[in-house]
Amino acid sequence: MTTLDLTGVLCPMNWVRARLELERMRPGERLELVLDPGEALESVPRSARDEGHRVTVDGRHVTIEKA
Amino acid sequence: MTLSDEELERYSRQLVLPEWSGAAQERLKEASVIVVGAGALGSPVATYLAAAGVGQIGVVDEDVVELSNLARQPLHFTPDIGLPKAGNAVVKLSALNPEVQVDQYPVRLEAGNAEAIVMGATLVVDCSDSFDTRYLVNDACCAQGVALVEAGVLGFAGLVMSIRPGESACYRCAFPTQPVDAPSCREAGVLGAMAGLVGTIQALEAIKLLTGAGEPLLDTILQIDGATMAFTRVATERISDCPACARVPAASQSS
Repeated sequence: MTTLDLTGVLCPMNWVRARLELERMRPGERLELVLDPGEALESVPRSARDEGHRVTVDGRHVTIEKA
Repeated sequence: MTLSDEELERYSRQLVLPEWSGAAQERLKEASVIVVGAGALGSPVATYLAAAGVGQIGVVDEDVVELSNLARQPLHFTPDIGLPKAGNAVVKLSALNPEVQVDQYPVRLEAGNAEAIVMGATLVVDCSDSFDTRYLVNDACCAQGVALVEAGVLGFAGLVMSIRPGESACYRCAFPTQPVDAPSCREAGVLGAMAGLVGTIQALEAIKLLTGAGEPLLDTILQIDGATMAFTRVATERISDCPACARVPAASQSS
């Protein structure tokens, strides 16, 4: 599983980077993100869900399963 | 082709669009677009295409900047009076986005050079101000199989149509003959904001055609009445014996 450490990366650049990584993956593959508390953790998982991906959040670790 | 960190940041607000993708951004970067005219329509068209990250932009205009241009051509500023428009466009667009290669064609597009200018382009945006030039651009794009965004503006009236030669109606299919009594822009007047609106729609159509996002105005003429803000879509279709596009094979363009 690919991991992107997006600590210190602000919105919307964190979602830009996650999205480009997702674009390179196949459906069903998983991407792990490490996000800052606050806006990043609030908005990135929501953006991923809005695009149909399955998202699980564990603390600052967010796992996205590509739709 | 990959995008640098700086490009990711520059284009971040479009890269997060659901309709967008890294692949869409790369398609823009690989594109070569010819903008015919650096005036009232060409200013917003070239500005938005450069800002959005079209890799290569060629600006065709033989005029120099005049005082009477400035009310409707926001690519040109007061200190630019007397400068060639195409060269000034290169300076302004390069300052806006150094990632873009901007080429100048300080010539009038004519029958003798139209096909050479259009050749190799991914897409052409016609921002010219005469019917003669419009038919020349249309015919050259049809002959070369290059996608085209046509537009015109006069007073508060505007129209836009997108063309994939061989697949959708070309300008000559929609308007087989030139209107005999059409007033020129000089006589009828043009309002800068109205031209800006039409040019911005042209830029959006170009971006849609290049990236595959959205649904371009193919086989459709968008008529805009700026006085009432009425936007009307008028269906049009290919003419089987159109002298410009009847013999163009479909899907000859790269995007």
